[in-house]
Order: sequence, then structure tokens, then C-alpha cells
Amino acid sequence: MAEVPTQYGIILAAILFSLGVAGILLRRNIFFVLLFVEVMLNAAGLAFVVAGARWGQADGQVMFIFVLATAAAEVAIGLGLLLRLHHQFKTLNVDEASDLRG
Amino acid sequence: MIVVFYIASGVAILSTFLVILQSNAVHALLYAILSLLSVAIVFFSLGAPLVAALEVIVYAGAIMVLFVFVVMVLNLGPGAEGQERVWLQPRTWTGPVILTLVLIGELIYIFLARPGLALRGPAIGPQEVSLALYGPYLLGVELASILLLAGLVGAYHLGREPSD
Amino acid sequence: MTSADILSLLPLLVVATTGVVVMLAAAFYRNHRLSLILTLAGLLTAFISLPFVSPLTPRQVTSLVLVDGYALFYMGLIFAAGFIVALLTYGYLEQWDGNPEELYVLLLLATLGAAVLVGSSHFASFFLGLETLSVALYAMIAYNRSLRRGIEAGIKYLVLAGVTAAFLLFGMALVYAETGTLAFSGVIAVAGGGPSLQLMVGLGMLIVGVGFKLGVVPFHMWTPDVYQGAPAPVTGLLASMSKGAMFALLLRYFTPVMALERQGLVWVFTAVAVLSMLGGNILALTQDNVKRILAYSSIAHLGYLLVAFLASGPAGQLAVAFYLVAYFATTLSAFGVVTVLSTPDDEAESLRAYQGLYYRRPWLAIIFTIALLSLAGIPPTAGLVGKIFIAAAGVQASLWLLLIVLVLASVIGVFYYMRIVITMFRRPEADVVQPSMVRLPRAASVVLGALSVILVGLGIYPVPVMRIIERTVARLV
Repeated sequence: MAEVPTQYGIILAAILFSLGVAGILLRRNIFFVLLFVEVMLNAAGLAFVVAGARWGQADGQVMFIFVLATAAAEVAIGLGLLLRLHHQFKTLNVDEASDLRG
Repeated sequence: MIVVFYIASGVAILSTFLVILQSNAVHALLYAILSLLSVAIVFFSLGAPLVAALEVIVYAGAIMVLFVFVVMVLNLGPGAEGQERVWLQPRTWTGPVILTLVLIGELIYIFLARPGLALRGPAIGPQEVSLALYGPYLLGVELASILLLAGLVGAYHLGREPSD
Repeated sequence: MTSADILSLLPLLVVATTGVVVMLAAAFYRNHRLSLILTLAGLLTAFISLPFVSPLTPRQVTSLVLVDGYALFYMGLIFAAGFIVALLTYGYLEQWDGNPEELYVLLLLATLGAAVLVGSSHFASFFLGLETLSVALYAMIAYNRSLRRGIEAGIKYLVLAGVTAAFLLFGMALVYAETGTLAFSGVIAVAGGGPSLQLMVGLGMLIVGVGFKLGVVPFHMWTPDVYQGAPAPVTGLLASMSKGAMFALLLRYFTPVMALERQGLVWVFTAVAVLSMLGGNILALTQDNVKRILAYSSIAHLGYLLVAFLASGPAGQLAVAFYLVAYFATTLSAFGVVTVLSTPDDEAESLRAYQGLYYRRPWLAIIFTIALLSLAGIPPTAGLVGKIFIAAAGVQASLWLLLIVLVLASVIGVFYYMRIVITMFRRPEADVVQPSMVRLPRAASVVLGALSVILVGLGIYPVPVMRIIERTVARLV
């Protein structure tokens, strides 16, 4: 396989990460917010794999696997909470579902 | 192979960007899955076939499917679409977009300022990763399983119907 | 891994096993009391095993976990916190008709995560320990599923923690790309040759992630909301164990890094400390809700701790360790009082609920008063001694700006702490609705009493704890 410059890989991860951040700031619907959290975690995982490939170590991929496990656990609880939220507040909008003083 | 990397990167960036713009939850999910698949191709081009496969199987295949289930249960399709369009007014998105562009510009500058480092050596396949997982990272594997246990118990508790 | 390696992990293994045992027990025979007893037994065993593990230290178990005196000391603190919260939770959940047993499982898993966090020497264990703690907390915060504010607090905390985790991970990846190793020691080896921009960005993102978890300014946004919406005992856990474990890790990882990099990082932490000390105290002045007041107060206290962190050296280490002990005791005592006065569906949050508490529940009022005095740093409590240690470390390191802010902030703090105390001792007005007399669980009373005794005892005679700290924590730069 031809050489892929590491820096481009990191830039790709950085762009995806930033898009995730933008998405969270832009969307008011918890469903989309959770989706973008996943995007961000994926971008960070990508950065790990790129870094691991740069050094020729398996550690980057190992960390990615751990990130995968974390994302799965977080999504399970997050979506469970989302369903509860919808049940209680009848809306998924962050601003409306706000009893607590911001 | 490097061409593969560029094309896949482009698709990943474009589809992630499109996720932000979608008002329909199902459409957004489709673009998200597309983004994940292109990232899997990027992994492959970096010489990491195992995580490429895992990305497709676990991330796109399990985690995104959970999102699809939620869309089904909550019926987030057409009804929500109108609502979302209202929220996506230009004055809502101009600020964050500018900020994000600045962020991206900054990061690109930072990383290009370094001499580009190329990949070292051959692809790191499943065997090497597995040896790492069951060798130095053994504790990590055990911890990850406990993490999943916590997720399991938590999701179970939250998913039950309240008795009242 | 040799058998000695496994033995040195004994405290962690005990806690993990207990978590699984409690879960299995609940699966076969649901009984609240049984869950509590198993939980307490497990945490007690883990705590007792600490001195037995001590001869084996310091021991690097794989490259992920470093079991040394430092780790064992903070593990002890964490196990004690878990024990206390479990006891407080029992009374709190007793009359509730939901399923209480899962909370104990989650509590044990959270404790495990925190314990791994303080013993970690590698990004993998850092991340996994942190996430285990966080995931358990998500479910614990939203535990009362039918409570709207609980669900809301849970979602907010989850989004916050998820974003935090992503920032931390990206920072770790950047540092890894730069140094080629995920072990903590790696970053020191490379940074010695002059840090690159990529490394700095990576460290910066790590600081952002850590800052969110510590709840310091400017990362404190949703902290008060989460504290308010979570059940009182869980808030106590959040304020003590979660922040404490992360701070212990901050100290372990960042102290060597700071020594090498100097100015840039120092300024960042200084700014954060100043903003937190002032911001936390000033924002608390306007609050009416006891849980929110305590939330802002904890922001300020983390600011004080950062002063000791910046002081570094043995004096700084001693100050941090002692202050954390005092902080744990105080926080758990304060939230313990709130817990005892609350039920899952009706928390004793608003200041008005505490009006005239002295006339209804004299001992509770006194216990809360002692806790508040300790938070304010008024003699003869542990809080004051802790602040003196911090000040001493600060003087030694010539951190004049920080010391001035510390004193200033503490003075501001006195106002709102005293407000609560005065409210408790004022005769209730006729139109104030008195909350119903909640039956006071025996276990909780004993625990709260013990904590008060500790707080005053440490304030008068801190020497024994100091000795322990010197024997275990003394290390690092």
C-alpha cells in the first residue's frame, strides 16, 4: 500500500471532530445531539488509528476498540434516556425540556 | 491507495456535513452511516483492516441501528421535519458555521506546519491487534467488559416502565 | 502477569466482584437490605485489603495501572465515599417503590471506575476508568425515572460527558501521535526536547476534558443543573468521588508535564483557578436552592485545590491530599443532611425547607452547620486546616496572586454559607410550609455524626492523617 501522510489523516479527523462540535451547537433536538456525540467519538477514534499507523503499533487500533465499547455503552443509556425524556416531556427539544433553571 | 484515501475522506467530510443540514431524522441517519462507511475505507487505506471491519460491524451496524430503532419508536420521520425546518433559520446557523470554519482553518494550519510524516511499515492486521489485546492490554479488556456491564444495568433500569 | 501483579490489584478485584455478586443476588432474590449489606461488605473488604497490598507497592501492573502509595491512599478515600453514599442511599430509597437494587450495582461500578482512574498510568486505563465511572453515573443521576428533572439532569450530564470524552480522546490521540506511546511517562520523555504545536494542542484538549469533569470555570455550565436534578446521595457522590478521582489523576499526570513546560500551562491553570474561586463563590450568592449552592461551592473548592496543584512539590501534595480528605468528609456530610431530609420524589432543595431546622431536628442542624463551617474555612474544622495547608504551599511557591484570590473568595464564601446557617437557626415564620417529619434512619444518623466528629477532629488534631499522607502520597516531582 502506498504511503498515506499522517498529517492528512489527522486533519481528516480534526475536520470530522469539528463538524461534530458544530452539529451539537446547531441542533436543538436531543436525538441529533446524541448522533453528533457519536460522530465526535468516531473522529477521535479515527485520530487514534491514524496515530497508531504512524508509529506502526497496534495500540491505536486497541484504543479504537475501547472507544467503540464506550460509544456503545453510552448510546445504550443515552437512547434509553431519550425515550424517557420523550415520555415525560413530550418533546425532544433541549430548550423546551428544561425544568431546571439554566 | 492514496487516491482511495482522498476520495473516502472527501465522502466522509461531505456526508458528515450533510448530516448537520438534514431535517428528517432518517435522512440524517443515512448520511451518518455513509460517513461511517467511508471512514472504514479510510481505515483500510491506513493499513488497519481489523478496525475497518469493526467500524462497519459495530459502529454502523449496531450503534446506528439503535438510532434507527429510536426513530421507529418515536416516529421521528415526517412530523418532525416541519419543526426542524423552522429551527434551521440562517440566523441560527451563521454564527456556528463561521466558528467552525475558523476552527477547521486553524487546525489545518497547525497540522500542515509540521513536516508530513508517512506511514511506517506494513498493515497492522487482526493478529497483531489481538496479541496486544490479550497481552499488555488485558486489564483494558476486562475494564471494557465492566464498562459494558454498567451500560447494561443502567439501560435496563432506565428502560423499564415506571410502576406509577 | 504474575501472581504478585494480581494480588496488588486486589482492592479493584474485590470491588468488581462485589458488583457482580450484588447484581446476581438481585437477579435471584430482590431484597433491598441484602443489596446494601453485600455492597457494604464488599467495600469494607476492599478498604481493609489496602494495607495488605501496601508491601507489594510500588508495582506497575502491565503498563496500564501503577499501584503505589498514592493510588492506595486515594482508593481508600474513594471506597470510604462509596461506603458512606451506600449507607445514605439505603434510608433514601427505603420508602420508594421503584427497584433500588440496581443503584448499588451502579454505585459499585462507579467506585471501581474511580479507583482505576487514580491508579492509572496509561491513557487506556485513564479513559476506561473514567468512562466506567461516567456511564454508571448517567444511570444513577436519572435513577428516579418518573422524575422529570432527573431525566433532564441525566441527559445533560450524558451529553456533557460524551463531549468531554471526545475531547479527551482527541487530545490523547494527538499526544500519542507525537510521542508514540500511550503511557503517561511517554509524554515527559518527548516533551523534554521542546514541545511541538501538535503536542500542545493535544495537551490543551486534555485540559479541556479534565476541566469539564472537574466542573471548574469555564467548563461549569451544566453542573448546577445536574446537581439539582440528581438524587441527593448521587449528587454527593458526583461532588466527591467523581471530582476527587479526576483531581488525583490530574495531579499524577500533569505535575511532571508542568515542570517541563512551564509558562503556558501554568497560566492556563492559574486563570482557571482564579475564575473558579471567584466565579463559584459569587454565583452562589444569588442562589436559593441548597443543592445549587453546594454545586457552586464545589466549583470554588476545586479552584482552591488547583492552587495547591500549582504550588506542587511535597507541600502542594500534602495540601491536596489533606484538603481532599476534608472536602470528601464535608461534601458527604452536607449532602447527607440533604439526603436525610429528602425522598426520591420530593427533595429538600429550597432554602425555605431548612428554615428553623434547629427547632425540629437540632442534631441535623448542628451537623449541617459543622459541614458549612468547614466549607467556609472557619475554625475549628478540617476545612480551615486544609486551607492553611494550601496557603502554606502557595507561600512556599510564591503564588501571590492566587493566594490573594483564595482569601478574597473565601471571605465571599462565608456570606452564603452563613446564610444557610442563619436560616436554620431562625424561628420559622407561620406561613412557611413545614416539610413532613421524615423518619431518620439509624445508619444515616451514625454516619453523619461520625463525619462531623471527623471534621472537627481533623480541625483540632490533623497530625495522624498528615502522617498517613506523608507515608503514602509522598512522591512525584
